[in-house]
Amino acid sequence: MQKFSICFISFFVLFSFSMINIFFFSYFVMNNLVYILEWELISFSSMSIVMSILLDWMSLLFMMFVSLISSVVIFYSKSYMSSELNLNRFIILVLLFVFSMILLIISPNIISILLGWDGLGLVSYCLVIYYQNIKSYNAGMLTALSNRVGDVFILMVISWMMNYGSWNYFFYLDFMVNDYMMMMISVMIIMAAMTKSAQIPFSSWLPAAMAAPTPVSALVHSSTLVTAGVYLLIRFNSLLIDMFFFKVLLLLSGLTMFMAGISANYEFDLKKIIALSTLSQLGLMMSILSMGFPDLAFFHLLTHAMFKALLFMCAGVIIHMMNDIQDIRFMGGISNFIPLTCLCLNVSNMALCGIPFLAGFYSKDLILEMVSMSNLNFFIFLLYYVSTGLTMFYSFRLTMYLMINDFNLLSVYNLYDEDYVMLKSMFTLMMMSVLSGSMLMWSIFSYPYMIYLPLNIKLMVIYVSILGAFLGYLMSNMNIYSMNKYLKSYNLSSFLCLMWFMPNLSTYGLNFYFLNYGQLMLKNIDMGWSEFYSGQGLVLILKNYTVFYSFFQMNNNFKIYLFSFVLWVCFLMMFMMIYLNSL
Amino acid sequence: MFYFMNSNKMFFIFILFFSTLISISSNSWLGCWIGLEINLLSFIPLISNSNNLLSSEASLKYFLTQSIASINFLFFILLKMIFMKNFEMNNFFSIMINSSLLMKMGSAPFHFWFPNIVEGLSWFNNFILMSWQKISPIILLSYYFNKNFLILIIMLNAIIGAIGGLNQTSLRKLMAFSSINNLSWMMSSIMISENLWIFYFLFYSMLISIMCFMFYMLNLFFINQLFFININYLIKLSLLINFLSLGGLPPFIGFFPKWIIINFFMNNNFYFITFILIMSSLILLFFYIRIIYSSFMFNYLKLKWIKIYFKNKMFILLNFISMVSILGMILSTFFFL
Repeated sequence: MQKFSICFISFFVLFSFSMINIFFFSYFVMNNLVYILEWELISFSSMSIVMSILLDWMSLLFMMFVSLISSVVIFYSKSYMSSELNLNRFIILVLLFVFSMILLIISPNIISILLGWDGLGLVSYCLVIYYQNIKSYNAGMLTALSNRVGDVFILMVISWMMNYGSWNYFFYLDFMVNDYMMMMISVMIIMAAMTKSAQIPFSSWLPAAMAAPTPVSALVHSSTLVTAGVYLLIRFNSLLIDMFFFKVLLLLSGLTMFMAGISANYEFDLKKIIALSTLSQLGLMMSILSMGFPDLAFFHLLTHAMFKALLFMCAGVIIHMMNDIQDIRFMGGISNFIPLTCLCLNVSNMALCGIPFLAGFYSKDLILEMVSMSNLNFFIFLLYYVSTGLTMFYSFRLTMYLMINDFNLLSVYNLYDEDYVMLKSMFTLMMMSVLSGSMLMWSIFSYPYMIYLPLNIKLMVIYVSILGAFLGYLMSNMNIYSMNKYLKSYNLSSFLCLMWFMPNLSTYGLNFYFLNYGQLMLKNIDMGWSEFYSGQGLVLILKNYTVFYSFFQMNNNFKIYLFSFVLWVCFLMMFMMIYLNSL
Repeated sequence: MFYFMNSNKMFFIFILFFSTLISISSNSWLGCWIGLEINLLSFIPLISNSNNLLSSEASLKYFLTQSIASINFLFFILLKMIFMKNFEMNNFFSIMINSSLLMKMGSAPFHFWFPNIVEGLSWFNNFILMSWQKISPIILLSYYFNKNFLILIIMLNAIIGAIGGLNQTSLRKLMAFSSINNLSWMMSSIMISENLWIFYFLFYSMLISIMCFMFYMLNLFFINQLFFININYLIKLSLLINFLSLGGLPPFIGFFPKWIIINFFMNNNFYFITFILIMSSLILLFFYIRIIYSSFMFNYLKLKWIKIYFKNKMFILLNFISMVSILGMILSTFFFL
């Protein structure tokens, strides 16, 4: 009975789906095939709403990765969420999430994309608020509303695309490049992708979404949901390539990468550090994408998905062992107690830093070399390389905090490394994060990129990495006295560690003025003037009138009642006489 | 109220009905006057009850006011006969004849007798006074009315009906003021056509019959009785919804005739008067809701040992009418699908 739990079944189904996908991927990439299936749902005044399915090597490969990671994550959550009462609900939510992600991946039609896109937003909201407390509600609302901005942009794209008579953007990418409407559409697509992939004005939701359970963070907020925006832009790439706004995106995503790298160094929450490193890698993907290398972005997307999911899963094991404590200041020296988990953690961390011949090396090194080969200004170049150094910086700091420093939680403690369900799933991903880089590089690039660089530029990555590692080492060894030196640059420190005040921008900054204005309106209009001039004031006036009227009515003086008629007759007579005299 | 058990009252109610028919179908003003006079004299015995001092007082008051109105009516139709040719209009005469008719039906500037008399009447007599007794004066008004004067009277009726009822605690007086307000709708409908008036009048008398019979059954005369009445909550709910229907809230049938009148008024460019009518019926609806809502929704006493006498002999009829009142407009839309 235990074997046929919902986790196991879902794992099995997803894993088989992933294997099927890798088979078809090999077939498709070998023969260079593209299949489009269309199913017409409604035809409305010569515009048909179709559910389309696009199968090419890209969608098949992405589906393979998504289903592999989600199968492993579901297997992992059998142990991680073992004491959860509503495990079925959790697994069903994750499955719904995977389903909407797959819908997004396979659709070349903007309406069917919206189906997957909205599904992602909705289910990720449900997953973020899974631990039903105030913090998760806030985080979930921030996540959902930030993503909702992107949904609105997609909706506007739908209405703009009605001008073309069909929503299959796939067919217009090449022909309508210079069209004004297509330019509007592409700007909106970029905005939508920026919300989903948490680029700079919208990036505050990604660290907030760490309120979700860790398997959800592993699947949703590292490898699938946030890559949806990148994937959308990869699909639209041939349209966007020469746009001015794409250059803006390059700047914004480079700044995102830089900002996230710095903020990760200030952070002490284990999951938030990983979330910020995800943000930094997303910035990398977006920026290389906006330079016109969609295949490199896709490559990094896939390898990053592997090692980032692994990193989150390791973090989940550690959080489990530390009595649900996520603060890295309590951790330390755990490599002595849980060597297998630390092995996985180190592999994924190194892959993230781009240590040679791990997964991250192939994609990241290629990206950085293509950046050096490209015709760029110094600022963008600096953003790329400083961010690479910062990746090394926070990864090394994290490693030092977790593995080398003293254990600070309790004086009596018991750490265990024998949760084999979690370990098995982590080992699957560890294999992938070692192998996937080279595997993908050999399979998806039909011809190699030509790199020709001077030696120092070629070694620039190593220079910044070593510098970053050294700084990370120093930073992890800082004592309380040195920490207090932050106070000397208090404003700058708070600016950097609060993600450049972006949470304020999208929460307090947005809410505060409207709420304040609403309170003002409530006080002055709703409960003030409009009450006086409509409800209460009218009642007051009517009450006075009715009191005045009762004076005539209540005294039961019949003589007056009858006399009023006589008076009326006299009045009319008089009026009549005056009228007749005037004739 | 069961007049068929009392041969005298059966006789008088028969005369009451036929005197109205006499007055509205005669082709001379004198015939009309005769009908009105017979109507008055047949209603007096229906009101008066030798055991009840209040109703005797009410009958006397009714007699006085109606006879004064009749005297004036007779006086002015005779004057009109003497001074004017047959189809001639004159502001003075038309206003005076209209005024005496307005006094007969208890319309606004001469309405002071109306809430006082209503206080001494049983619910069934109230029903007759508010519905049937309105027929002959209004029909006679429709034969010979001064339009400008009537517009003034309509607005006055609407406002006085709304404001006078605002502070009442007696349900009978409240219904009287509501009737004054509805009189303004009726008078405005006779400005359009007689058929429209019949339409409005039928709906109004149906709604007022529900209210009067229900109050009769529950022995309700004052608002504070509503707070400790010990009845099934469905009956309370039906009372509440019938009040809303009487006030003219859209999904119920009370709105329907008002809607039609508003529609015709809009077509005939009576914008200001429509505004006054709607606003005053808003105030009317306000005090209906204030009565019912506070007594049935907020707090009411539920005493264990008080058994209130509950006359349920007409309950099926009442249920049927109130079903028409509540669901009539909703159901009737299905005929036009």
